Amino acid sequence: MATNINWRTINIDALDPDSSTNFDLTTLTPAVQPISTAEVQTLSGQIRTLVRGGNAEGALMGALENAPYGADDQGKALHLGVVTEVLGQIRQAEMTPILQRIYQSDNGSELCDTLMKYLYKGMGQGHPATNSTSRNMTPQSTGFTQAGGRNFGGGEGGGQAMSVLLSWHEKLVEMVGPGSIVRVMSDRRTV
Amino acid sequence: MAPPEVHHLFHAPIADHSFSSDRETLAVARENIVEIWSKSNDAKGFRHLDELRGHDKTVTGVDIAPRSGRIVTCSQDRNAYVWEPTGENGAWKPTLVLLRINRAATCVRWSPSETKFAVGSGARTIAVCYFEEENDWWVSKHLKKPLRSTVTSVAWHPNGVLLAAGSTDGHARVFSAFIKGSDARPEPSAWGERLPFNTVCGEYLNPTAGWVHDVAFSPSGNALAFCAHDSSVTVVYPSAPEQPPRAVVSVAAHLLPFTSLLWSSETELLAAGYDCGVYRFAGDESGWRLTGGLEAEAGRGGERKEESALNMFRSMDLKGRGAGSADDTKLSTVHQNTINSLRVFPSSQEAVSQVTTAGVDGRVVVWTL
Repeated sequence: MATNINWRTINIDALDPDSSTNFDLTTLTPAVQPISTAEVQTLSGQIRTLVRGGNAEGALMGALENAPYGADDQGKALHLGVVTEVLGQIRQAEMTPILQRIYQSDNGSELCDTLMKYLYKGMGQGHPATNSTSRNMTPQSTGFTQAGGRNFGGGEGGGQAMSVLLSWHEKLVEMVGPGSIVRVMSDRRTV
Repeated sequence: MAPPEVHHLFHAPIADHSFSSDRETLAVARENIVEIWSKSNDAKGFRHLDELRGHDKTVTGVDIAPRSGRIVTCSQDRNAYVWEPTGENGAWKPTLVLLRINRAATCVRWSPSETKFAVGSGARTIAVCYFEEENDWWVSKHLKKPLRSTVTSVAWHPNGVLLAAGSTDGHARVFSAFIKGSDARPEPSAWGERLPFNTVCGEYLNPTAGWVHDVAFSPSGNALAFCAHDSSVTVVYPSAPEQPPRAVVSVAAHLLPFTSLLWSSETELLAAGYDCGVYRFAGDESGWRLTGGLEAEAGRGGERKEESALNMFRSMDLKGRGAGSADDTKLSTVHQNTINSLRVFPSSQEAVSQVTTAGVDGRVVVWTL
């Protein structure tokens, strides 16, 4: 009988044909190419080879140019691990010249925005993956607002990696301004 | 360059402002009332003249029709009113508009013909309103598809038929708002040839899908610019009806996002927003770039004055720093908070020589370009 329906729990949005729950939201976001985790893995292998070869700048450029927007959580976590690893390999004194070269390249402003996304993601993560064992860990839930995913001081390298990200952040903001930070928040293509 | 003319009206945010065509009257949206200020003869300031009461929630949009002097206002109470001057001691007669929306109205603009206006709303609808003689009533027709979220801004094409709208779904769209009977058939343009009501002439996604804050047609109507919450300004040049645009140029600024923009000529845009200043963009189909701010050009001299030793010590005692040091309780910009609306200062000339801004700090500023 209708008497035992709890009206308060009915999802009225589902019944409204005009409601936002009833249309495909993917049409509203920029199109991104789906990428499998295996592909991300191959890519990270290539980037690591570059780093080992001493070409950290090329590795960083490659990692930012091929940011896997279409990957799943695991793939994104994997790529984040690679990016933070590369960032950790670059010395303080080299940061600004490298950033300047990236900024002045074609599409430079876009690459800087991507880097900013990784910095925020990395800082939100609490303990950035610094080695390849991260592959066996369950990926952190995405989104840098989730306090539950944080683990301050848990990893012995956590504070170290955080200070690396912070100094990158400082140098990047000096160059691209607060506009880039706003784009991290407003961009639907998340890393 | 002349320094900006600053009018600090009150300590409350101004959601929207509009000048009459003779520059004598200024209407500002303050909370749930619209205040009418008029130019005072003695000083260069404005004095409070009247207020339009009728809305019971925050007024979000106000626009004065340049020729008829009628004022249209819209509010979060889901209503819009058209206020007509009655002539007797400056009284205003309100007429309610049947918007038929179930969410807040967010913005309103008269069409160039002044026979109709468009109201954007949170109900994923734009109400195009026109006067129906037989009922003595403003009625509306809805533009619904393919809006997917709140409409943040509307702008009319110079031909009075095409309407651009920015929305929080990250799209800027161009619609036909052709009302049979009141509009003449428009000249075919790059946007379209046959334009029945609700024809979608263009739909452009912002590169990062951030909220679109404002849209504007170029003076000729052959280009569309919009600014979004990712601090970008995008300019679209359409090629032909049903064809992809000839060029879409996007500039990502290093500043905070812009909330309002306008074209000062075919090759120059002005934008203002959360950075509290007005900025210039210049370019054409091949590319656009940020060229600078009006603030810097106008200069801000004459602020420093000679300080006596007494004042210096007093200041150090009261504020903990010397009087000579910069006053860091004020922003270096003219506006002390976000600029909500940027509009052309009406003039008899065709070219835009002055613009006005109003912001959260309760200031209205007239800028000379």
